[in-house]
Amino acid sequence: MQKLVVIGAGMASGRVLEHLRDTAPDAFEITLFNAEPRGNYNRIMLSPVLSGEKSYEEIVTHDDGWYGAGKVNCRFGEKVISIDRDRKVVVGEKGEVSYDKLIIGTGSSPFIIPLPGHDKPGVVAYRDLEDTNAMIEAAGKPGSRAVVIGGGLLGLEAAAGLRLRGMDVTVLHIMGHLMERQLDEAAGYLLKKDLEKRGIDVLLRASTKEIRGRDRVEDVLLEDGTVLPADIVVMAVGIRPSVQLAKDAGLDCGRAIIVDAQMQTSDPAIYAVGECVEFDGNIFGLVAPLYDQAKVLARSLLGEVDAFAMRELSTKLKVTGCDLFSAGDFAEGEGREDIVFRDPARGVYKRLVIEEDRLVGAVMYGDTGDGNWYFGLIKDGTDVSAMRETLIFGPAYQGGASADPLAAVAALPDDAEICGCNGVCKGDIVSAIEAGAGDLGAIRATTKASASCGTCTGLVEQVLAVTLGDDFQMPAAQPVCGCTDLTHEDVRRLIKAQELKSQPAVWQELGWKTPNGCHVCRPAVNFYLLADWPLDYQDDPQSRFVNERNHANIQKDGTYSVMPRMWGGMTNAQELRAIADAADKYNAVVKVTGGQRIDLLGIKKEDLPAIWSDMNDAGMVSGHAYTKGLRTVKTCVGSDWCRFGTQDSTGLGIILEKRLWGSWTPHKVKLGVSGCPRNCAEATCKDVGIICVDSGYQIGVGGAAGMDVKEVERLHDARTEEETIEWTVAFVQLYREHAKYLDRAYKWIAKVGLDWVRDTLADDAERAALVERFDISQSVYQKDPWAERASPEAARHFKPLADLTLEAAE
Amino acid sequence: MELALDRPVKTFVEVTEVWVPKGDTLVLAEGYYGTLTAFEEASRQTAFAKGEGLPGKAWAEARPVVLKGFDGSYFKRIEAAREAGLTSAVAIPVFAGKELKAVLVVLCGDDENRTGAIEVWAEKDGVLMLDDGYYGAAKHFEWVSQHTQFPRGQGLPGGVWSAETPILMRDLGSGYRFVRAESAGKAGLTTGLGLPVPVPGGKSFVLTLLSALGTPIARRFEIWDARRAGRGEAVLIDGICAREGPLWTGEAEPERKVSAWQGLVGRALGTGVPVVESGVPGLSAGYDTMTALPIHRAGEVSHIVAWYC
Ligand SMILES: Cc1cc2nc3c(=O)[nH]c(=O)nc-3n(C[C@H](O)[C@H](O)[C@H](O)COP(=O)(O)OP(=O)(O)OC[C@H]3O[C@@H](n4cnc5c(N)ncnc54)[C@H](O)[C@@H]3O)c2cc1C
Repeated sequence: MQKLVVIGAGMASGRVLEHLRDTAPDAFEITLFNAEPRGNYNRIMLSPVLSGEKSYEEIVTHDDGWYGAGKVNCRFGEKVISIDRDRKVVVGEKGEVSYDKLIIGTGSSPFIIPLPGHDKPGVVAYRDLEDTNAMIEAAGKPGSRAVVIGGGLLGLEAAAGLRLRGMDVTVLHIMGHLMERQLDEAAGYLLKKDLEKRGIDVLLRASTKEIRGRDRVEDVLLEDGTVLPADIVVMAVGIRPSVQLAKDAGLDCGRAIIVDAQMQTSDPAIYAVGECVEFDGNIFGLVAPLYDQAKVLARSLLGEVDAFAMRELSTKLKVTGCDLFSAGDFAEGEGREDIVFRDPARGVYKRLVIEEDRLVGAVMYGDTGDGNWYFGLIKDGTDVSAMRETLIFGPAYQGGASADPLAAVAALPDDAEICGCNGVCKGDIVSAIEAGAGDLGAIRATTKASASCGTCTGLVEQVLAVTLGDDFQMPAAQPVCGCTDLTHEDVRRLIKAQELKSQPAVWQELGWKTPNGCHVCRPAVNFYLLADWPLDYQDDPQSRFVNERNHANIQKDGTYSVMPRMWGGMTNAQELRAIADAADKYNAVVKVTGGQRIDLLGIKKEDLPAIWSDMNDAGMVSGHAYTKGLRTVKTCVGSDWCRFGTQDSTGLGIILEKRLWGSWTPHKVKLGVSGCPRNCAEATCKDVGIICVDSGYQIGVGGAAGMDVKEVERLHDARTEEETIEWTVAFVQLYREHAKYLDRAYKWIAKVGLDWVRDTLADDAERAALVERFDISQSVYQKDPWAERASPEAARHFKPLADLTLEAAE
Repeated sequence: MELALDRPVKTFVEVTEVWVPKGDTLVLAEGYYGTLTAFEEASRQTAFAKGEGLPGKAWAEARPVVLKGFDGSYFKRIEAAREAGLTSAVAIPVFAGKELKAVLVVLCGDDENRTGAIEVWAEKDGVLMLDDGYYGAAKHFEWVSQHTQFPRGQGLPGGVWSAETPILMRDLGSGYRFVRAESAGKAGLTTGLGLPVPVPGGKSFVLTLLSALGTPIARRFEIWDARRAGRGEAVLIDGICAREGPLWTGEAEPERKVSAWQGLVGRALGTGVPVVESGVPGLSAGYDTMTALPIHRAGEVSHIVAWYC
């Protein structure tokens, strides 16, 4: 009998042994080494063992009886130290064994980030039963806390298990969303939400600086200064193939042990299988392909012909109740088309990626029952053009589903749920209609259907249409864009009501039909989010118009204009000298603008950081001539100089500009302050125009002098400068909080009515609250974009990403 | 495998009934009574209006109800129960949205030697507190449980609550070295099945069945996932059996599935109503009785839990 030695009783080598047992039980005399003090078990099921949902005994794949029956000589708990290929012996810790054939199946070892403190007691990896038991042990102490570094598959399974065991758990993930290699942002958002529902804290973009403690782990320090107390730190950041043994033996290795399609290494007597191998440049981390390898290896050993081939992989997460599935490639790309389905009430997200009539990727969350069916379509490269329309609904809907939405709604039974949020069935809505509710508003008021997340609005309207027939007029409310049926007003209302604080939250909870919006909705949603949640939301520059991203106005010839701020239109000799120098240095054309500023035109893009730096050095900041934000405050010379001036209009203009600059608004905001009714600052055609009079200040709002010319309407007569400032700031904040993106103030006022604006602002408490919210927002957003980008270091990075989907001109 | 392999002297649950709405009342659809024929007879002649008796109360209040000691209570079948030696009962309403599909009632006899627990946990102030439970002889465990609360995601009740999914835990007495776990270990409680009990109005309830070695609530537990959108199919996702060992399937093995109407689990899937069967040939692994309880979510059966004795 030939002597077969196997190094490592892992999931892959275990499969080889099973194949040999099944097909040629007497072919080899087998010796099995394992560094772990036990035989083969189902490693992937360690997670449910950790959580208490499986027992270790249940996951043992080969027990003593199995090894005994095959006369496998088991050397468990004994590490192999070296391989002597010349003598064909394997050297274990307790002695040598000779081989005719050798299988290396040493798997991987967890990667440990060499952070300060990584070697303290209490820091564990997640690979074997010892690690699992160490975690169970740590969870045994009431009130104990765990920090898991790594928001990938293993880290999250560890976190969920520890939580179920009763620990307080924080997951630290360096990237912007969880499991970023397997999930897109939307699915990552839902996963995070699901984990948070379990009481697990998830910190994204969290970078660990140090693990601290005297004799053992006590806390974890993050780069941003956060300190997280911890009784145990689980590091689950990746794996490295275990190949030292093979390298020392002189076998060909790349990132892992190089094998051919028969799983043979560079030594014909030695085979390798599992995570320790490299095949055709690939290394492995999931079991499915390892099982294929095992079968091929067993057949090769027996002299049969077989060849290993790479195949598509799919991922699931073994956290009970977190249903996710991903397969294939779902990166965005040219020629790729997305089909997206969302059901916010059930927390469902599905996205299919199609390229050249083939399904190439699938990500789903919340409803993964059809995952394997999609996986099959991906693997087989099936032409899906014929089922394109119903593909997202899965195999149950293939062939024969009705395409007419009204017919589908008509066919729904009375107990079919229409509004998931408020549990309203079709029958309830029909009853309400029969009792006289004739439009969406009335249905909302009587049944609450579509009153919460609003995503069923279309369905409710269809029920109205089916029930009322010709009596019902489908409303013509304009949705934001093709990504959603909701209007801007709905989106704004729901962002507030549902406390949606990130773009993925908006896409998911409001049922967006695209993976992450388009060039129309993204700038709007980005604005709504930053206006409503200045402290929680992180501004997304990629969701901005090109001018806002480049912090300069792009001109006809591709050059840029640069315009420094001149507070209230005042400047001085030193500023003018700096502007003149810059004009020379960067070869600029100089224009005095209608808003009392000086514009430098014709600046090359690569010169932008340098000219900004020069302007900053002269004490000037960006004039924001390119933003949906405060542009200019135009003033007249006022009582200081003018014979007619009644108040210090220049001073007030400067105060207002210093208070308001840097704030983002739905559209541009221009102010004017005139010192007397002669109105030299042309204040009456501004978004906010203030006319000083003997008795105080007349605040007008909603003026315009563009395509539309409009005179301001009087909002309020203020007695003091202070009162004027308070009203102006409160007005701007009200506009920021309520207007549709890209509505100038006058358009917004026309929609909500000046009376409402005035009544709202007349309420002292409300006005004070608006001012407070404005100031909070300014604490985040009132910063000079030039200064941030003018340093040479930042300038090097200042290469705006070319994102064609967002390249929108005004 | 930690489940008892030998036949238990007496099972923890003696009677299991399914009451279904018919007009304004609940009538008996099926039940398992063992040798308690007189109680069975009395039950068959009873119907409950909404709010009446134990099943009627679970319906009217839209919540699971535990009743311990029938004398002087609203329990309707006091006489027959006393004669049958039954002293406690738990009623679990099965709702699909607002619609009551059935009320599952389990009745237990008082016994100094029978250990186990049927618990109802309810959300209060952001944590799960014990609503009530029946524990047989596990008095210390009962006391500990009354003084335990579960935050989201923690322990069997907290895990079920946040995952909105049934969970089957092994080794209740080891690993969790909290007071309740310690006490569970001492009481010999090994296996725990927890499941959400969805009710209209959105209040959260979790039911747990904790099984002891000598007097198991069941000797085989199964959890079926039925969320295959519109496909009328359920997949066995977890289970353990004293006779067959673990019932879950590994990565490379084919799934165990049933279609609607196929077998008893399929019947629960098809009707959305609990199934109680006994003495029929072909029950899994040769057991005598089985109970299958469907759980509805978003208007459809999402899971089925089944237990066998
Ligand atoms: C907690 C966890 C969850 C997972 N979940 C999934 C999942 O859901 N899906 C999935 O596809 N994959 C999952 N994986 C990955 C999967 O377990 C691995 O892909 C698989 O185990 C690799 O098999 P292997 O045989 O190559 O190595 P292993 O199973 O790691 O076995 C290698 C064995 O070799 C032994 N060994 C190493 N060096 C020596 C030596 N010098 N002498 C003697 N013995 C030695 C080791 O002790 C070990 O027992 C998970 C992994 C973990 C840890």
